Amino acid sequence: MKSIIMPKLGFTMTESTIVQWLKQEGDAVTQGEPIAEITTDKVNMEVEAPEDGILAGFKFHEGDTVPVTEVIAYVLKPGESLPKETGRLGSRDDGRPTTRSQAPATSSQPPAATPIAARMATELGIDLTSVKGSGPAGRITREDITAFVEALPSNPSVSAPVGNGRVRATPNARRLARKADVDLVNVTGTGPNGRVQGDDVRAAVETVTSAIPIVNSQLAMVNPPRSLPYTGMRKTIGTRLQHSYQQVPHITLDMDVDTSGAEALRARANASLKAGATKIGLTAIITKACAWALQRHPLLNSQLDEAAGVITLLDEINIGIAVALENGLIVPVIHQANTKGIGQIAADISDLSARAKANKLKAHDIQGGTFSISNLGMFGVDRFTAIINPPETAILAVGASKPTFVADANGQPVLRPMLTLRLSADHRVIDGAVAAQFLADVRAAIESPALMTL
Amino acid sequence: MSEAVQTLGVLGTRASELLMKMLMIRAFEETAEELYMLGKTHGTMHLSIGQEATAVGASAALKEGDYLLNTHRGHGHCLAWFGGDADAMMAEFLGKETGYCRGRGGSMHIANVDTNNLGANGIVGGGIPISTGVGLSIQLRNTDQVCLTVFGDGASNEGAFHESLNMASIWKLPVIYFCENNQYAMSMPIQKGAAIDRISKRADSYSMPGVTVDGNDVLAVYEAVCKAAIHARAGNGPTLIEALTYRHKGHSRSDKQAYRTRDEVLEWQRQDPIRRWADQMGLSAAELDALKTQAQQQIAKSVAFAEASPEPNLDSIMDGVYA
Amino acid sequence: MRELTYVEALKEALRQKMHADPRVFLFGEDIGVYGGAFGVTAGLQQEFGPARVRDTPISEAAIAGLAVGAAVTGMRPVGEIQFMDFVTLSMEQLVLQGAKMRYMFGGKATVPLVLRMPAGGGTGAAAQHSESLENWFVHVPGLKVVMPSNPYDAKGLLIAAIEDMNPVIFIEHKLLYKMKGDVPEDMYTVPLSNTRIVREGKHLTVVATSLMVSRALEAANTLAQDGIEIEVIDPRTLSPLDDAPIFESVKKTGKALIVHEACQNGGFGGEVVARIAGSAAFDYLEAPIKRLAGLDIPMPYNRELERAAIPQVEDIVREARKLAGGKY
Repeated sequence: MKSIIMPKLGFTMTESTIVQWLKQEGDAVTQGEPIAEITTDKVNMEVEAPEDGILAGFKFHEGDTVPVTEVIAYVLKPGESLPKETGRLGSRDDGRPTTRSQAPATSSQPPAATPIAARMATELGIDLTSVKGSGPAGRITREDITAFVEALPSNPSVSAPVGNGRVRATPNARRLARKADVDLVNVTGTGPNGRVQGDDVRAAVETVTSAIPIVNSQLAMVNPPRSLPYTGMRKTIGTRLQHSYQQVPHITLDMDVDTSGAEALRARANASLKAGATKIGLTAIITKACAWALQRHPLLNSQLDEAAGVITLLDEINIGIAVALENGLIVPVIHQANTKGIGQIAADISDLSARAKANKLKAHDIQGGTFSISNLGMFGVDRFTAIINPPETAILAVGASKPTFVADANGQPVLRPMLTLRLSADHRVIDGAVAAQFLADVRAAIESPALMTL
Repeated sequence: MSEAVQTLGVLGTRASELLMKMLMIRAFEETAEELYMLGKTHGTMHLSIGQEATAVGASAALKEGDYLLNTHRGHGHCLAWFGGDADAMMAEFLGKETGYCRGRGGSMHIANVDTNNLGANGIVGGGIPISTGVGLSIQLRNTDQVCLTVFGDGASNEGAFHESLNMASIWKLPVIYFCENNQYAMSMPIQKGAAIDRISKRADSYSMPGVTVDGNDVLAVYEAVCKAAIHARAGNGPTLIEALTYRHKGHSRSDKQAYRTRDEVLEWQRQDPIRRWADQMGLSAAELDALKTQAQQQIAKSVAFAEASPEPNLDSIMDGVYA
Repeated sequence: MRELTYVEALKEALRQKMHADPRVFLFGEDIGVYGGAFGVTAGLQQEFGPARVRDTPISEAAIAGLAVGAAVTGMRPVGEIQFMDFVTLSMEQLVLQGAKMRYMFGGKATVPLVLRMPAGGGTGAAAQHSESLENWFVHVPGLKVVMPSNPYDAKGLLIAAIEDMNPVIFIEHKLLYKMKGDVPEDMYTVPLSNTRIVREGKHLTVVATSLMVSRALEAANTLAQDGIEIEVIDPRTLSPLDDAPIFESVKKTGKALIVHEACQNGGFGGEVVARIAGSAAFDYLEAPIKRLAGLDIPMPYNRELERAAIPQVEDIVREARKLAGGKY
């Protein structure tokens, strides 16, 4: 007995369709006689009987597609019978599957992702099919999304510090800059099109005094260069702020706040801190107050889409806290501040601030903000106007807390620790009264933190 | 039996040797086909089933030290040649390290340089200019070697064929130009492709002897090549031999053979060189069958050897580009 | 030291090798009685006879086949293709047979052939007699490609090529044939795959082949007058390429210019640029790596058009000034 297989008749052939049985089961056939016609990628071909005998045991119907090397029939010598496991091939409508083509290897299902990862992907506009999943069964996790975003080329809307990657410089200049630990952003290029060349880096290195890096904060300079580059992060910040300043009609409201209640809370909380817990500062309390007030005044936690004609009241309350850096400014975000206690918020502020200064923020840390707070009180500023951070619709500027004479209930002057809150709001969305009610709630929460338990 | 047979003493052991060689080639080719259809080989192959007599008859007429160049349909010639080893051939066919070419050449480029088999060739007519160079090399070294170069009817239309025969003739190089005319150059029948009815007549353009023989008669092939070898060794130059034969299978395994009829194939199959030689030797069908089985068993052993052999080591992929 | 022309240097190499090794023989169109189209083999047939210095019919495919067949059976054939343009008719035998036999046969064959050919334009021979096709052969693993730029290298490289166990494409520039230079009398070799720093300089690395080497040296003299020192590098063997000296040079100068006569598109210059850009020298680059090559046109007949189609000394000077002077 010899089996007849579906032959492989072409380099890339993996399966073929039986067009026609040229002989029937039970027919006598001779070696080489064609017994079936099959398709190939070129033309139809014939399957031949491998030896003389009786054709038997057809396993497929005409029209069936069969993988190559699969047995399709047998040639029996007189007296032989079919192998035991060969069933009779039933008629077409006996319900058994008639084709045996493989399912395609790739599916078009979206890859599995954890709910958080899925939401992050949607927020960040990431196509899940391009993210590698490291979770069980290849599931995409939050870490995977974060890693994916980090690996993306830097996005100008992300106000992360930009350095050697965005400056036009020759490979040699880059090498020298790396060696001298010089940020190319700070080197003036004299090559064609302002390209930084090796000599430029050498020159820059020579002008540095040992103690002070070339350009750090604009507050104190020993050897001020005659010019600074307006590139990279500086320029990014500038462009965004200009846009906000020019396009968004800012309305500003001041309120002076008595911080003694908040200070008392601070003192008590810090006295009973667990070992290693972050100390609570005023900013944390102000942040919590804002979060609480934003819940009551959702218009200040919104986004305006002028083109679509929609003001979206955002679900999450993610408050950005501005942090000053050497080369500029960054606004890390405390996500869902309304769900966190003041202690957690304080810890978050501390962590984000430290990481911001160490240039270790992740995409998640600076995205998704819905409201911002900027505090220049530590520099002695009484009050100032902050520019709204688009696409947010409001920002709170916090001044320094100073002992100030105010009138008490009896009209007598008393010394109180007062600071000024100045709210800037997008007047297209937020009217004066709305802003005022919000700010009043913020003041109330700071002055009497117990209110926030309501 | 012809006189030549008697004088050259082909009777006795040599007759069986020729038959066994043809049976080995047939078994090898049939097995190669099976392996191919089972998906065990990579690439394509060109079977010489039906052309065993040309391979065996030609090499039988030559001696060790002579050179061979042959075609893409070269399994038979490689097996028939001196030192032709089915194990090494099967291993090469399966791309293994133990193959003649360490798996680098494959079906179309099998060569056994040690026995002066300078290779099957993937280019139609590719071996012809090389054989002219081999002939010149023999002449300059002043030895009595000859070079047998096998090519098909289609190759005789290549420009290089004409350049080579011309050159070999003007210099009287010891080359035997052996054309296996199996009637088709892939799908092109020789009648449509060549502007001459007998390829051997092209010898006239190059002032060399040209002869047409029955390529399915192993003795006729043997005699023609003997004569050409004597001619060449005596310094009288090249000969063009045209051996009329037929390939039972398509050009390659993906050939539907729409260009010829089943009847034509059957007609030529009746001229099967193996059966004809067995008849001439006076063997019965049963005796022939027994020898056939013996050959198949030998080839099965080669398959086992080849399948058990290792694949080439990837680390050695750059070996052999330069000496 | 005595001076020989490039032609005389080649002939001396052939003669000395033919005396030393009976396996060496020459063949090609008109090389015997006529002495070769450019006179390289003049007198050799009288000396060695018509069997070893053999005129062939006009049959480039068979000529290449002769080389392959003779080489694989133990001889040392040195064939001549009359103009590099005609090697196009030899391509199958060289590329599919000669270059590949060793590898295809599992490393068990050797093909020690040499095929010499004059290449290049500037002689008014126009499009079908002025080719520079070296990069076609650089692109074929198994072949070696050699382009000597001066008589000393011509003799030494030809002897080395004949002694090499691989098929060697030996490309001579027609306009170099009359070039004179010091050539030792003994039989010496210049190793294949050995890149030479012809002239040292710190402002720019110039990699040049064949005729362009002399032109680069002339340009160097002009530039030196203005204090611009170019380093001129001659690979001599294009494939396999000895690229380490090129990288070291670029690390030093930070700038590179590749000069060849063959047309720019798909030319050898691209290979060198890619290698430099992918090497450690990348981090030392001060300027984009540039190529100065032939125009992407068939060689025109008109004298001025032909001149414009091939890099001249003043072109090299101009490009070098641009790079050294920071204009890029």
